[in-house]
Amino acid sequence: MFVLRRWWDRHALRAGLVVLTVGSAWLIRQTQGAVIYEVYQWITQPLQPGLTKPEQIENAYILELQERLVELENQNRTLKDLVDTKDETLAAGVVAAVIGRSADHWWQQITLARGSQSGVKVGYVVSGPGGLVGRIVSVTPNTSRALLISDPTSRVGVKVSRSRAMGYMRGQSSSRVVMEFFDKLPDVKPGDVVSTSSYSRLYPKDVPVGRIESLDLTKSPAPEAVIQLSSPISALEWVMIHPFEPKLDTDDPGANLTKTLEDSP
Amino acid sequence: MTSSSPNSLRSLRTRRLLNGAVTVGSVLLCLLLLPTRIPGMEILGVGPNWVLMWVVAWSVKRTAFEGAIAGLVLGLLQDAMTAAQPTHVPALMLVGVLTARLQKQRYIQEDIVSVALIVFGMAVIAETVTAIQISLHNLVQPGSFYPPLVEIWVYHQRVALSSAILSSLWAPAVYYPLNRWWEKERLIEPT
Repeated sequence: MFVLRRWWDRHALRAGLVVLTVGSAWLIRQTQGAVIYEVYQWITQPLQPGLTKPEQIENAYILELQERLVELENQNRTLKDLVDTKDETLAAGVVAAVIGRSADHWWQQITLARGSQSGVKVGYVVSGPGGLVGRIVSVTPNTSRALLISDPTSRVGVKVSRSRAMGYMRGQSSSRVVMEFFDKLPDVKPGDVVSTSSYSRLYPKDVPVGRIESLDLTKSPAPEAVIQLSSPISALEWVMIHPFEPKLDTDDPGANLTKTLEDSP
Repeated sequence: MTSSSPNSLRSLRTRRLLNGAVTVGSVLLCLLLLPTRIPGMEILGVGPNWVLMWVVAWSVKRTAFEGAIAGLVLGLLQDAMTAAQPTHVPALMLVGVLTARLQKQRYIQEDIVSVALIVFGMAVIAETVTAIQISLHNLVQPGSFYPPLVEIWVYHQRVALSSAILSSLWAPAVYYPLNRWWEKERLIEPT
């Protein structure tokens, strides 16, 4: 008892400091670093991108329009056969500046200068000039963080617009992603436009994603394709945040995956 | 003596407060630098690991326990900024302990070049710990959403190298001012 008291007399301040520091770090972790991101948004305000947009982004926008056109044409053809479809394309959202990127090397995230005060919620979909970019995974009053589709843990249900060949894609931490087909012999060729499919639960359907760059149809267990994303992921300055409710109530085997994805970030 | 004693006590207290403010402020600065990608400060989309540099700067002249605590705190803070799943705590704690140990054995003389070298090694170690963590998660948990092992380790090579190069180049910028400050403080503060 005496030893304990003597230890306490000597180390009380230090022990208190250690507990305080670890405690506050834990608190910040539990709040997803809200304080830090708010300060970050405040400090980087004068540095946030102005109205000048590089040509690259303009080109990407033109590419997006072309892809949308292909998508709409194909959709129109299917609609003639199937009148009774429920449409749920991207709703108009808020424009947000990209103010930061991932805070470590293993995640592909961006920080946006809009938060819950602009009505942004977790699960909303982010698109940029060129198409799909990612989804919101955490929100503070004035900032939000989006997980990019190029992150290795991102899975998106996609389809080839021309032939409706289905599959899913996973990120590769670069501007190229890998698409795995569900079919053994998909009808696909390089240059085909890829957009999100109706199987996707975290993203709305028919949002342009990119173009098929190369194919490996002999790959086991499923044929693979490399997709070049049409939005310039590494050069994003402005993005659009669209309201979207993820469909997480389904019970199929894949629901497990999306739930883990929901919980993890 | 009696008249000067409360005065010196007060100055000691303000010094302590200032000291704490510098330490906390430098951590905050490192955290705020994490999401930025200033042009010319990235290789292959990877920026310097500011948090790791801070842990090394802190641990170089401290005990292993203090290094571990710094690693724990900054690991939790970096988790807050990204995601809790591959946690940064073990990597940064290991870095803190190893750095403190390294200096004790006096293998390496303490100066800016050797600190840059330590940061280089520690950055590789930290990324390796993270890669091992992700690989284990991939092996243990069925239906893991992480990419296959081969892809993890190919990516690890890329990340570890660029992070190590950039961090070691920027290490003096964190180490030098902090170290100067702490050295000055230690001269004044009776311990």
